[in-house]
Amino acid sequence: MNTRHKTIYIDAKRCMNCRACETACKVENELPAGPRYIMVSEVELTIDGVDKCEFLPLSCMHCGDPACMKACPVGAISKRAEDGIVLVDKNKCIGCHQCLWACEFGAPQFGADNKMEKCNMCYQRLDLGLPTACEAACQAEAIIVGTMDQISRKLRERYSTSSREQLFLEKTDKP
Amino acid sequence: MSSFSRLHEDLDKFAMATDVPITLGGKIVIADRVVKTACPHNCYDTCGFLAYVKDEKVIKVEGDPDHPITRGHLCLKGYANVQKINSPDRVKYPMLRVGERGERKFKRISWDEAFDWMTEKLTMLRDTYGPESFCEYLYSGNREHMIKAASSRFHNLFGSSKLVGSFCLLSGAAGSYYSIGEQNVMSPEVWADKTECIFLIGRNPSFTNPHLYPFLYKATERGAKLIVVDPYLTPVGSKADIHLRPRPTTVLQMIMGMTNYIVANDLHDKDFIAEHGFGFDEFMEEVRKMPIERAAQICDMDVEQLKQAAVMYATHKTQTECGYGHQRYSNGHQTQRAVSCLAAVCGHIGKETGNLNYINHMGFPSIPGFMNAAKVAAPEGATIPKTRLINISTFAQAVLAAKDPPIKGCISYRGGLVSQQPYVSETIKAVKQLDMYVAIEQFMTDDTDYADLVLPGCHFLEQYGFHPSYWHSYFQVLVPVCQPYHEAVPDIEIWQELGRRMGFAEYFPKEDTGLDYIRWMLPDDVKLEECTSPNGPIRIPERWCPRVPYADYNFKTPSGKFEFYAQGMVERGKKFPGDWNPVPWNMDTDESPTATPELFAKYPFTLISQHPAFRTHSQGYNLPWIKEIEGPPKVFINHADANALGLKAGDKVRIANDRGELLNVLAAPTVRVRKGVAELSSGMWVKLGASVNVLTSQSVGGPRDVGVGIMDEYHPLLDGNTTAYFNTLVKIEKMQKGEKR
Repeated sequence: MNTRHKTIYIDAKRCMNCRACETACKVENELPAGPRYIMVSEVELTIDGVDKCEFLPLSCMHCGDPACMKACPVGAISKRAEDGIVLVDKNKCIGCHQCLWACEFGAPQFGADNKMEKCNMCYQRLDLGLPTACEAACQAEAIIVGTMDQISRKLRERYSTSSREQLFLEKTDKP
Repeated sequence: MSSFSRLHEDLDKFAMATDVPITLGGKIVIADRVVKTACPHNCYDTCGFLAYVKDEKVIKVEGDPDHPITRGHLCLKGYANVQKINSPDRVKYPMLRVGERGERKFKRISWDEAFDWMTEKLTMLRDTYGPESFCEYLYSGNREHMIKAASSRFHNLFGSSKLVGSFCLLSGAAGSYYSIGEQNVMSPEVWADKTECIFLIGRNPSFTNPHLYPFLYKATERGAKLIVVDPYLTPVGSKADIHLRPRPTTVLQMIMGMTNYIVANDLHDKDFIAEHGFGFDEFMEEVRKMPIERAAQICDMDVEQLKQAAVMYATHKTQTECGYGHQRYSNGHQTQRAVSCLAAVCGHIGKETGNLNYINHMGFPSIPGFMNAAKVAAPEGATIPKTRLINISTFAQAVLAAKDPPIKGCISYRGGLVSQQPYVSETIKAVKQLDMYVAIEQFMTDDTDYADLVLPGCHFLEQYGFHPSYWHSYFQVLVPVCQPYHEAVPDIEIWQELGRRMGFAEYFPKEDTGLDYIRWMLPDDVKLEECTSPNGPIRIPERWCPRVPYADYNFKTPSGKFEFYAQGMVERGKKFPGDWNPVPWNMDTDESPTATPELFAKYPFTLISQHPAFRTHSQGYNLPWIKEIEGPPKVFINHADANALGLKAGDKVRIANDRGELLNVLAAPTVRVRKGVAELSSGMWVKLGASVNVLTSQSVGGPRDVGVGIMDEYHPLLDGNTTAYFNTLVKIEKMQKGEKR
């Protein structure tokens, strides 16, 4: 990872399991049922006697040192220098699934053609200055895509406007 | 016979832009036009919607970023409309049944032949039994209201039996109405910045109202408390400060216990009660019978948690945000009465920090207001006979019971009659006795299996519509973004042509479009152009959607006050049977562990069904994108129950009661429901999945008892009626290896 590299940040506290990211991704990437570039995992917990569910949208992590890239015997997987997005060249892929064995997150997907495909961080949209389809769809704003600096700036803004004290202060600046 | 051709309008007039570059499948694609509309699937949000069209096909959809509430986001169903409208499985042309009902054998016919067939059948029904032997079945798949006005024009002229009511939320609406009068809600942008606590009851916003969620987290992240009431562990329940999980059927007792505790501890708003309340003493007589300890026992809850919630509710400035889950019981009207009274006891009404939100009056299209359907439904100069009414919450019972005349003809559209009405086998029995059953559908559903005639229906993106949200205050007219696919014809044009062929040509001139009907329905001071693509949405004028409802405390009730004692119920009770008890009381429900112990001994699980994120009622169940996420049908039961039954995750079970059985449902042991409760999500198709309605009871919420639902008079707010889906007891058994149907 370096300062130019982009990543997909997930705020699991905010994700509400609405699944809009999943179908928005299907529309943007014109995907059939089969390959899932993003999916929300559900986990059930009981903490101090209180039952909870937690949710985590999972897609390709665009790792700093991608295990899939090393595992690919034909060099079909690459990491873009300018922003660290991990991409796969379907024309080179031989469908051996080595990348799937190597990936700790199960991100590589295989459709009817048995060629690896996965989240490409909507790089064509990022190149145009647009948010990824999943980020644009997320009404909880639980998904933030960008460099670590960009993400951290957004989170700091978010926390600076969310404080428990503010609740009981008189707001005089509002009509 | 004249030949039918559909109206072919130039749709570029609605384009916000033409030749628009968009990203799609990793490429830049030039869309012919982008059009703004709104989503009319029966949901609080009514999202602002942008559709990109190329060669008259929808290639992409997005949320409208200019919509103040939905702000550019759609839900998973919203995005999946791309797959739905383009599906190869759509009904493409009219088809006439050639086999037995249920055999799914049809032959292709032309629209002219279809209209000839319908005209002949309708004439035969009118001459043999009279026009009241015909009625429509219309619900909320596409919930826009213009079509109801247009079809009512036909029914009024023809003299059909009229379909009224709702099986969704009217028991609660009546409960709310008798308490507070006219129904209004405070839009979330008002309270999100100011409230100290949100009391969310019977609503799962992740799945059914996702645009509420940003306002919830905005409030909670700045420190507001969140109390969620739901027997099911919803995602938002997981994020709550307190998640109250009463045993299903007992929310009423829980609320009364909380009220008792609040008053006993002197936490009530005595000024509000004294100045703006009516009948508090009579109300308290019932409340005193329900100490919080007793309530906790009935509801099977931790009394300390309930006390904590009561104190939190009373001592914070609280927004009460009601869904409809808690009123889908036969005591649903009294449950919502109790919730309304709880808000009033604490004075949480008519303030920017909190209001009592149930539904705004956009929920009642038959009552004139912002919408005036009568201008379309009752054309000037026509003689309109008074006809009998059929209540949709008891539709199958009415069809089976109707004698004078019997119901012999039905056109069904925008609603899953077989899959969504309770007690599927009774519904099928009712449908089978019709001489004319027409289904206007986009797909071959459970309904089309039994239809004589299947007509290719339009997707909402292919037709006009009028659907103001029943939750927020913004309005966008629905316009066709593209020409209908295949041979589909917009519903309005079907009714117009049928009207012309049945002899009412002067009332259905060919040049009237849906847009004309919508113009007639709008108030005079609202300009159609301002809320129609490329413009919109508009803020609905203050007099229809006040920013802070009830702020003047001038309640539209008989006493002009908030009615703890509902005088309106006493009055209506003189006219019709039902439960008109003017104060909320400890009312048990029809089918429940306590009310029917002998049934409970056989069927020890209370079956509830949430509306999942994956579909609007039954819509979308057949879409590959959605099936992929949802997976095969599964039933959630508590780990303790699963252990007792020897069930592991993924084991196949049989779920059954006297009404029917479901096989091969996968067991999902969980913490999401408590012991004794099973959850099977609603809306699965009978033929494709595990339709919960195979098992659900025909029990109906009050206050009025409408019997089998054949009526002369009915008012949605005065009479209520909601199908009490959750008054359902079942047994669950592990299926043996190799056992199948």
